[in-house]
Amino acid sequence: MALAIKAEGIFKTFRSGWWGRKQKLVLKGIDLQIETGEIFGVLGPNGAGKTTLVSILSTLLIPDQGKIQILGFDGLQDGQRIREKVNISSGNANFLWSLTVQENLHLYGMLYGLTGHRREEKIKALIQLFNLEEHQDTTFDRLSTGMKQRLSLAKSLLNDPAVLFLDEPTVGLDPSVSIMIREQIRMIQKEREMTVLLTTHNMKEAEFLCHRIAFLKEGEILTTGTAETLKRMVRMGDLVKIEFKGTILEDELLRADGVINYGITGNLCEIIVDDGERRLGNLIALLSQGGAQIKKVTLGQTDLEDVFIEFAKGTDSNMGGGD
Amino acid sequence: MNLPRGLIQIWAAAIKNWIITKRNVFSLFEILFWPVVGFFSVGLLTHFLKLNADMVGFILVGVISMSVIQVCQIDVAYVFLYDLWSKSLKHTFIAPVHPFQLILGAWLIGILRSFVVFLLLSLLSTLAFGFDVLRPGLGPLLLFLLGLFFISALIGISVCILVLLFGYKAEVAAWSITSLMALICGIYYPISILPSPLLQIARAIPLTYFLEYLRSFYGFSGDGKLLGWGFGQIGVYLAIEAILFKMVLRRARRTGVFIKLSE
Repeated sequence: MALAIKAEGIFKTFRSGWWGRKQKLVLKGIDLQIETGEIFGVLGPNGAGKTTLVSILSTLLIPDQGKIQILGFDGLQDGQRIREKVNISSGNANFLWSLTVQENLHLYGMLYGLTGHRREEKIKALIQLFNLEEHQDTTFDRLSTGMKQRLSLAKSLLNDPAVLFLDEPTVGLDPSVSIMIREQIRMIQKEREMTVLLTTHNMKEAEFLCHRIAFLKEGEILTTGTAETLKRMVRMGDLVKIEFKGTILEDELLRADGVINYGITGNLCEIIVDDGERRLGNLIALLSQGGAQIKKVTLGQTDLEDVFIEFAKGTDSNMGGGD
Repeated sequence: MNLPRGLIQIWAAAIKNWIITKRNVFSLFEILFWPVVGFFSVGLLTHFLKLNADMVGFILVGVISMSVIQVCQIDVAYVFLYDLWSKSLKHTFIAPVHPFQLILGAWLIGILRSFVVFLLLSLLSTLAFGFDVLRPGLGPLLLFLLGLFFISALIGISVCILVLLFGYKAEVAAWSITSLMALICGIYYPISILPSPLLQIARAIPLTYFLEYLRSFYGFSGDGKLLGWGFGQIGVYLAIEAILFKMVLRRARRTGVFIKLSE
């Protein structure tokens, strides 16, 4: 599949103080390849460099070093052409305070060159899509945080972008609003088949939305992969807890496909497997054949947060490469 | 540039300023209260000092020019100041629009608003002080106004450049540059009374020539060549500002100004 975003060796330093004496290296050689139609997540704690990365890829910021290609255009030379085909929505969105929802959308619609009737239709559809009808005549400063975020998402779709940058789109929102926004992002991406680059520090959000995820920490990508791949890479598989009666043949258990580790305490056997759902049937069959009577089985999945913590600890020495 | 698309983008900035202007009660102060208060303060002072009609004309030309420039240039500056105050700069700069299109759109509203100020003050000056604004004739008057509008654009662009360089610290420039010009360009007095270094600076500012040009119709020395100097300087300064603006934009994209000012 064609690449929508390609970044090679991106470095960015911010300077502050008198004559820029204080320097802070924010991105340290970022490489990224994002396929067309993919939702790619950049996951990392605050200060990892996520917003800086999005700002560079969306042409708001020029890197110190590195090459960027967005939809085949040179990110450093063809900024104007790229801006026609991308858009951005950020958390804690800000628009002109004294303009209403509708006026803000019209203003940005005009900045994207949308003409009268086409712009009217587009804005009407977006207001409907994001349930902003009741608030379309409310000025921005009177909107709730959730409404502001919906307006931000609506604005980001005005030009039917081929690449959409979502910078922490649910930060500061109530859990229920966050869930709704995520559902909308997923639905819109599926309908429009656009490429989405999403930054977040919310593991659940990344796992829910993203086809692939990159872990960013202190300006470096620690690894990239699907949520499942990443979990396997840190060998933090799913935990299967089995309550049993009788005996368990431990040697056979250890040789079973997908088993990473196990422990037995009394009548409780805890087994870590690479993929719980796939291995569960075989495990139960194996234990039953060995003479154990299965009483209760529970399957717990490893949280992406645990995986990130493992990567952040620098435990990648015993891991395989990303995809 | 695709023309209809380019025009829509220019119009976007005009509409933005227009909506905010009509919704903001302080904009009424900008185009009615301050110019009128300033006009009467100075006009009554000339009355108290018992100045002759020519001298009153000299001063009123300066006062009217000052108000026109102040109102027009602030609209140009507002194009980024509104975004700065709303922390929405990054959304403007991620759109595929050239900042000069935004400035042009805002300037159009500035011209409209300041023309209203000009009409109002002209009317008041005739009614209250018997000053004949139309004495130079329509052509010279329109050329004079065109000069003022271009000078306003120059000042407004300077403010935009300063805002992109220094952020909030620079917003004060929107109100202070015009006052500085009043000191140097001969709004209330002829520049001949200025000390030599200031006189040289005054000669490097186009407003000086436009004021002298219009005053030449009210019995003061001057001729049409002054217009040439004025417009010539405007052309040079616009070219310099275009280059500076491009450099500042690139710097802003390098230093992350749009992001910092949007947080």
